[in-house]
Amino acid sequence: MANTQTALKEAMTTIEGSLGVALVDYSSGMALGTVGGGKELDLTVAAAGNTDVVRAKVRTMEQLGLKDGIEDILITLDSQYHLIRLLKGRDSQGLFLYLALDKNRANLAMARHQLRKIEGDLEV
Amino acid sequence: MAAEPDVLEELRRLRARVADVTGALAATSDGLVLAHDTATIEPEGVAALTAAALGVSQSLADATSRGAFRELLVRGQNGYVATYAAGPQAVLTVLAGQRTNIGRLHMEARRSGARIADLVGGALARAEHHA
Repeated sequence: MANTQTALKEAMTTIEGSLGVALVDYSSGMALGTVGGGKELDLTVAAAGNTDVVRAKVRTMEQLGLKDGIEDILITLDSQYHLIRLLKGRDSQGLFLYLALDKNRANLAMARHQLRKIEGDLEV
Repeated sequence: MAAEPDVLEELRRLRARVADVTGALAATSDGLVLAHDTATIEPEGVAALTAAALGVSQSLADATSRGAFRELLVRGQNGYVATYAAGPQAVLTVLAGQRTNIGRLHMEARRSGARIADLVGGALARAEHHA
């Protein structure tokens, strides 16, 4: 099992093309931890903004009457992938992992697989 | 004060930008209302309480060497009330529901606080110039 900072560091170093990663509480929009990012990618802003993305999707599914869970949300930019993975553990309800990737360097299938594994090891 | 319409405009902008914000008011550090955009609360009372909370917060920050007051967040069962510094003479107090995005509120309210500080500072400088 890995704590938050260790898990985020692992995501940043093992996932090819990582630009930044954050663990976010979407009941408050605040990040529990961030690794990477910088001037070009403010992870605090990303945490708050992507909280709105997650909430919008959750609400839309309720309105559609879809009784299902969200595993992840992929946003494809011209030069980046943004991957949002909702945590499913008993103690990590209401949290998501946010990962920004350089499109040229990243392997999306591999990144999703690795992020799933990091979620499995994460103890909040 | 001449800055009042501009401050009110800033409060409205803040309310429009953050979902579930139910009211905002700007006050001087000593508890006088500068502008308010609130429907459900009585602004004078909240401004006076904000000044009192500001005093205690600043003492607490001083006693623990945290420096000048920046912000204060109170979470009640039905939502949040947050106060942000807006320069040395003014503060911004925001009311929000329990579902609000606090990360976004912090981001937007800090920005609004800085803008209100400029507006109030500019108005005071002009007033002193004319006096």
